[in-house]
Amino acid sequence: MNESSGLIQVEAVSRRFPLDHSYVNALDNVNLRVAAGEFLAIAGPSGSGKSTLLNLIGCIDKPTSGRILIDGVDTSTLTSAPMTALRRRKIGFVFQTFNLIPVFTAAENVEFPLLVQGIGARERRERVADALESVGLSARARHRPDLLSGGERQRVAVARAIVHRPALVLADEPTANLDTLNATQLIDLMRDLNQRLGLTFLFSTHDARLLEHTPRIVRLTDGRVTSDTHNAETPGAAIPPFQIPSEGASHGQISALSL
Amino acid sequence: MGKFLLLAFRNVFRNRRRTIMTLIMVGGGVAGLLLVGGFFARMFWGLREQTINDGLGHIQIFTAEHFNREEKHVLDTGIENWGQIAATVSTGGHVRGIAPRIEFNGMLSNGVKSGVFMGSAVDPVAESSLGFTPRLAAGRDLDTKQGGEIEALIGAGVAHSMNVKPGDGLTLLAVTADGALNGIDVEIVGVVNTGFKEMDDRYLRITLPSAQRLLQSDRVTNLVVGLDNTDNTDQVAARLAPQLNGLPQQLVLKKWIDLAAYYKQVRSLFSTIFVFLGAIVFFMVLMSSVNTLLMAMFERTREIGTMLAMGTPRSWIMALFVLEATLLGVLGAIVGVAGGNLIGFLLNHAGLHLPPPPGTTSPMLFQVLHVPSLMIGSSILVIVSLAMAAILPAIRASRLQIAEALAHV
Ligand SMILES: Nc1ncnc2c1ncn2[C@@H]1O[C@H](COP(=O)(O)OP(=O)(O)OP(=O)(O)O)[C@@H](O)[C@H]1O
Ligand SMILES: [Mg+2]
Repeated sequence: MNESSGLIQVEAVSRRFPLDHSYVNALDNVNLRVAAGEFLAIAGPSGSGKSTLLNLIGCIDKPTSGRILIDGVDTSTLTSAPMTALRRRKIGFVFQTFNLIPVFTAAENVEFPLLVQGIGARERRERVADALESVGLSARARHRPDLLSGGERQRVAVARAIVHRPALVLADEPTANLDTLNATQLIDLMRDLNQRLGLTFLFSTHDARLLEHTPRIVRLTDGRVTSDTHNAETPGAAIPPFQIPSEGASHGQISALSL
Repeated sequence: MGKFLLLAFRNVFRNRRRTIMTLIMVGGGVAGLLLVGGFFARMFWGLREQTINDGLGHIQIFTAEHFNREEKHVLDTGIENWGQIAATVSTGGHVRGIAPRIEFNGMLSNGVKSGVFMGSAVDPVAESSLGFTPRLAAGRDLDTKQGGEIEALIGAGVAHSMNVKPGDGLTLLAVTADGALNGIDVEIVGVVNTGFKEMDDRYLRITLPSAQRLLQSDRVTNLVVGLDNTDNTDQVAARLAPQLNGLPQQLVLKKWIDLAAYYKQVRSLFSTIFVFLGAIVFFMVLMSSVNTLLMAMFERTREIGTMLAMGTPRSWIMALFVLEATLLGVLGAIVGVAGGNLIGFLLNHAGLHLPPPPGTTSPMLFQVLHVPSLMIGSSILVIVSLAMAAILPAIRASRLQIAEALAHV
């Protein structure tokens, strides 16, 4: 991995959506660099462009202008097949609504990305067991999603997102459908996986309380990055890729917000 | 791809109510086809046996010339040494008996009025031993006793136009094999109903010796071979063909199906009706399934988006939907075959009767046959129909925009 360029490079990316006879600038000239092993939150009010940014980084949407490099690969040059392959190998997704396949058990859901990659049955079994173990749900392996609580479902989704050892896990509002306790636990779990396995996590939230233990927070407002804060106290924020002068975004303000 | 199949299979049962509705519809279509087809098959079978037993027999032997040219003189394309040929033919297995026949034409008169007839001369013993009994409207069948009056059966139309009844006499006139005009007096012993009006208006039947006397020939037109079972026809025909070669006269052999024009007509008519029904079932299943499958696909938009986001190839998504529909078709076919056979079994044991079919007087027992080829055919029909119905939803599913699909509520 190229340390200097980082895992993700978002370069002058804008994304417009047509709306009636005009358009919406969901993202407006966004620059962002994320190094491998980072744990990063994208915060911002509703409509600020969080989902749009994560979709672009996750290669399920294309920027109107600018480019995004994942692991040094310029995704704007990719056709759909290599793009799919890139997602399959390098990216894990966690969704706000869990999005587990309802007819599959927890273990089968976790197994799915491995199936898609064509990994052999034995290795699949081992990796699924490991992944479920790492989210603390080994005992629930044979349960269908409808028998699991919301928190458990999202942990299964996290296991599914990490089972194929992606370079990057993207989680768009993973806690929005969870109560405060489960939400905190989920962020802690992701942080733990980030530290233990060295996985890179990007998640979005508009809940300031969840940002307390997050080493790096990127704030979006109306499609622009308004602050990029590195929380020095939190371990794992070692390499700030670049600093954006922000309008008074400080540790103190985050604490105040997280009330 | 066991897990993939498992996924498809479980998805089939995801919406129980909808799946059950589809299975009922598909199964109903299959069962309907089986019942109608089974009834038609039974009807074909009945008509086949009736046609054969009405005197067609299973195999008929003619001279080749009979089909090549018109006779110049009566019976000059007839079979010469027929007794010997009959003996050869009857030695093989499955042959129940052989009935020689003469076809001839002539005039008949009641003394005040005359008309033409189409005559058939038979050996009553041979005929009845093969189960060929004329359908008598009045009187009795021909007798074989020697001496006495020459007996004749006439068609109902002849009896009407000649104003005669059993016990009355008629004079027959015909040209002999030598070209001379010959006449005999016959006594009407019975009136027959062939089931075909044109036939009844001309029909006359006398015994073989009487005809030979009238026509001054010992040839016959053809030999009718009766078998133990219609299903053995092809086998026996294949065996007889070489035996009939190398005789002084070149002979040909016709199977019942070659001669049963009415049977073939009925069969093709009802087959066409059945194909039409099959097409209706096919399109019914197709139309209603497209709708159901589109609905199911729409409800799973976010799930499809999720699978696509995880890098599932779009072709897999398409295959999944087609596979699910195909499985649904297979299940529907199983339900239909089981249901159709069960209903057929119950109907067969209910002893229902239908009005007499044309040409017969007794009501027909309602029966359906359990036809394996029909079960396979109608199963394939609905499976293909469902797989085709899945194409549109499958294409739509595989073309979803991932980000939009994921935002779908
Ligand atoms: N497919 C789309 N078509 C039109 N406009 C869109 C589309 N997707 C997003 N937008 C608009 O782009 C802007 C950013 O949307 P986005 O979903 O990225 O915000 P968000 O920060 O994720 O908000 P939320 O917290 O509500 O999820 C919004 O104004 C939204 O209305
Ligand atoms: Mg959003």
